[in-house]
Amino acid sequence: MAHPLNTSLPQRPLRVAAGTGLAIAIAALIALVLWAILDAATGATGRPSRIDIPHLLRMTSIQAGLTTVISLAVGMALAWALNRLRFPGRDLIVGLFASAIVTPGMVVAFGMLSIWGRNGWINQTSEALFGVSIGNPAFGLSGILFAHVILDGAFAARIMLARLDAIPQPRLKTGQSLDLTAWQRFSIIDWPALRGTVPGLAAIIFLLAFTSFPIVLLLGGGPANQTLEVAIYAAVRQDFDLVGAVRLALTQIAVCALVISAASALAPIPTSLGPSIAPKWSDRLGASIVQWIVLVLCTIGFVLPLASVLFDGLLNGLGRVLSQPAFWWATLSSLLIGSASALLTLVFALLLAMGRGATANGVARTMLGIPAYAYLAVPAVVLSLGFFLLVRDAGVSTSIAAPFVVVVANSLLALPFAMATLGPPLEAIARTRGKLIRSLGISGWRQFSLIEYPLLGKDIGVMLALAFCFSLGDLGVIALFGTQDFQTLPLMMFRALGAYRTNDAAAIAALLLIGTIVVFVGLPRLIERIAHAVR
Amino acid sequence: MVKFTRMALAVLTGLFAAPAFAEEAPTLTIYTYDGFASEWGPGPGLKAGFEATCGGCVVNWIAADSSIGTLRRVQLEGDSTPADIIVGLDTATAGEARDTGLFLDHGLALTDLTLPEPWTDKQFVPFDYAHFAFMYDTDKITTPPKSFEELIAEPASFKIAIQDPRSSTPGFGLVLWVKAAYGDRAPEIWKGLKPHILTITRDWSESYNLFLQGEADMALSYTTSPTYHIVSDGDHTIKAALFEEGHLAQTEVAGILKSSKHPELAKQFLAYLTSTAGQKIIPTTNWMLPVIDLGADLDASFEGLPQPTKTLTITDADIKAHGQDWIDEMLAAVQ
Repeated sequence: MAHPLNTSLPQRPLRVAAGTGLAIAIAALIALVLWAILDAATGATGRPSRIDIPHLLRMTSIQAGLTTVISLAVGMALAWALNRLRFPGRDLIVGLFASAIVTPGMVVAFGMLSIWGRNGWINQTSEALFGVSIGNPAFGLSGILFAHVILDGAFAARIMLARLDAIPQPRLKTGQSLDLTAWQRFSIIDWPALRGTVPGLAAIIFLLAFTSFPIVLLLGGGPANQTLEVAIYAAVRQDFDLVGAVRLALTQIAVCALVISAASALAPIPTSLGPSIAPKWSDRLGASIVQWIVLVLCTIGFVLPLASVLFDGLLNGLGRVLSQPAFWWATLSSLLIGSASALLTLVFALLLAMGRGATANGVARTMLGIPAYAYLAVPAVVLSLGFFLLVRDAGVSTSIAAPFVVVVANSLLALPFAMATLGPPLEAIARTRGKLIRSLGISGWRQFSLIEYPLLGKDIGVMLALAFCFSLGDLGVIALFGTQDFQTLPLMMFRALGAYRTNDAAAIAALLLIGTIVVFVGLPRLIERIAHAVR
Repeated sequence: MVKFTRMALAVLTGLFAAPAFAEEAPTLTIYTYDGFASEWGPGPGLKAGFEATCGGCVVNWIAADSSIGTLRRVQLEGDSTPADIIVGLDTATAGEARDTGLFLDHGLALTDLTLPEPWTDKQFVPFDYAHFAFMYDTDKITTPPKSFEELIAEPASFKIAIQDPRSSTPGFGLVLWVKAAYGDRAPEIWKGLKPHILTITRDWSESYNLFLQGEADMALSYTTSPTYHIVSDGDHTIKAALFEEGHLAQTEVAGILKSSKHPELAKQFLAYLTSTAGQKIIPTTNWMLPVIDLGADLDASFEGLPQPTKTLTITDADIKAHGQDWIDEMLAAVQ
């Protein structure tokens, strides 16, 4: 027996090999994309762009750092409140919170403006009742942070809630019988369960904020608040300075890699996992009041903007949109793209997370953690250009390749979120049940089908919902492909906006949001039911 | 699961690739920006109209996400590009496009044009135009500013939404407009505008929606934008503020690629695009002015449209030589 003595992990060389293979493939793809651009650059003429990179890096890091800290704090408070409180419509609220991150950022930003803007509900009410204006909190750094926290804080809450819901029942019973206070319960029972998610979430949120582009421009108020991504966009599109674009992209990748490696290396091992059953825990009155306050504040801050999107969209233009054949084609494309990407994401995430969970070697764990973030670190406009060149170099028609490229790109986009969802529970299983698995001599496949899959049911559902909704529409990557006959709902929405059709765009946005909420409420339940039925 | 994925992908490919296979007749492949080819844009109407007259040809629109995107794609593809024509470049990018050497002389006489300035371009054919202008809502603003200087003199609470010149054509257009109107005083004007700039968005649609939502008092758009609201909603409250300095026009153009396998057919298409039949389609789908006199065929909403008395111009050569500097100058002033 050549087992290392210090580990209780079952030997799973195939899992490590498969995870490593995928990690190398993703790294190779990114390298190929950059190489294809440099290769094409030799023939292209362009003006070198002049950008103050240190200034941009400083501004962006401040913004992204603040976004990360606030989002995690808000997310944790919200997850804590939602885990304890029971009320009618709770599932719907949870679904609404989760849907923010997969809704196109522009939609959320405009939803936020219709609540918090100069002409928004709150200011109008305040002026009508008290004759006082709340000013313009929605623009500038505060506006950017607010929009980002709506997107990312609610997402963090969803992932953390899943971990809190998975705390084993006996542990709670013990805690309750010891008469733990709300704070003791948090620090003794909740924090160890949440800790595993923090580095991954922090990395995702930092990267999202670091590379955020349209929201930063929309709410930033001017070039003082900007990200590297806009400079890269300008280098590719305006200046056609491909070498410069690759150089900027490498700068962004380097900064992101630092953050990602730190997160991958720091991630602690989660300790507990049980099948998710609605926990019964009664806090004292004081804690309950705080929980209700958190919930109400978050609802006003996060849910109202989304509600206004529904309100605007369903009131105007719904009939006109539903009567367009193009809408139904776009819906079909979105559903197919979303399903294919979600399944591919599941495969990718399982391969990487299982490979990671099967090794105790720190370097290997870090290396297997990094590729998940590839899509977040590489600027979309660079990926788009690179994919276009690769497809052309391979001699494939761009219109035929487009759907495949979108599916692969969307899977990479959803991968970090999938890893944040599935990684911690998979590791927890390997750590807590590793000895048992080894002593029983269970094979890798049976380990998955008998132990992991049933325990992960709900998480797989959450992950599929996330990946599906993300993939309904991210088309940034096929900007150059020529996509007249290939349209998804978000693309149709943006085209409507660009053609003055504000009402049509609002209706599509509302329908997208409804679809997203349905998926978020329904899929986790469905998959959990299937996972348990299998046994 | 894998099986399903494969099946779904196969269905997807079939679904979206089908139009690419269905071709025997000569096919004219035209690159354009996505708004132009969308179901609301002029693309479908122009395709139907031209196919009815060309005797069995097929028009295939390929839509990139922006007009500059179509040019970049052709530059990357070089001689192997499947495109015969690019539709939708504008006067600010035409110079750069010409310098690529990829475009053929159009050879059209273009004698009927009613553009504000005479047309001399040998490679590019104009098909619509409008002047850049700030929009306002007559319900909220009774006396709009009549110049950049009056705009600067408004109280600081008076906000405008404009576009980033690095990512948006009208955004770049505004930089050129200020330069054409004020020359060396441009940085001073931008400094004056700074307190009024609510934000600088990536695309036109975002600024315009900030304006429609009432977040900004004015947004940079086109003198023709009000026609959309008149035609589609019967709303006459959206108007363009005319400035005494004069306005810069954006003229959209089309050009034939040297590598085209059907240059004659491509030329026929450009002739159709500038004919009465083609021009009739454009005003109420692209919301820009036609380049020839359509007489009674022009929608009534355009007839009453206030037009600037003075049109400013900047040459291709100046834009190519100094465009980047002017963008930097603007960004530095509003920083």
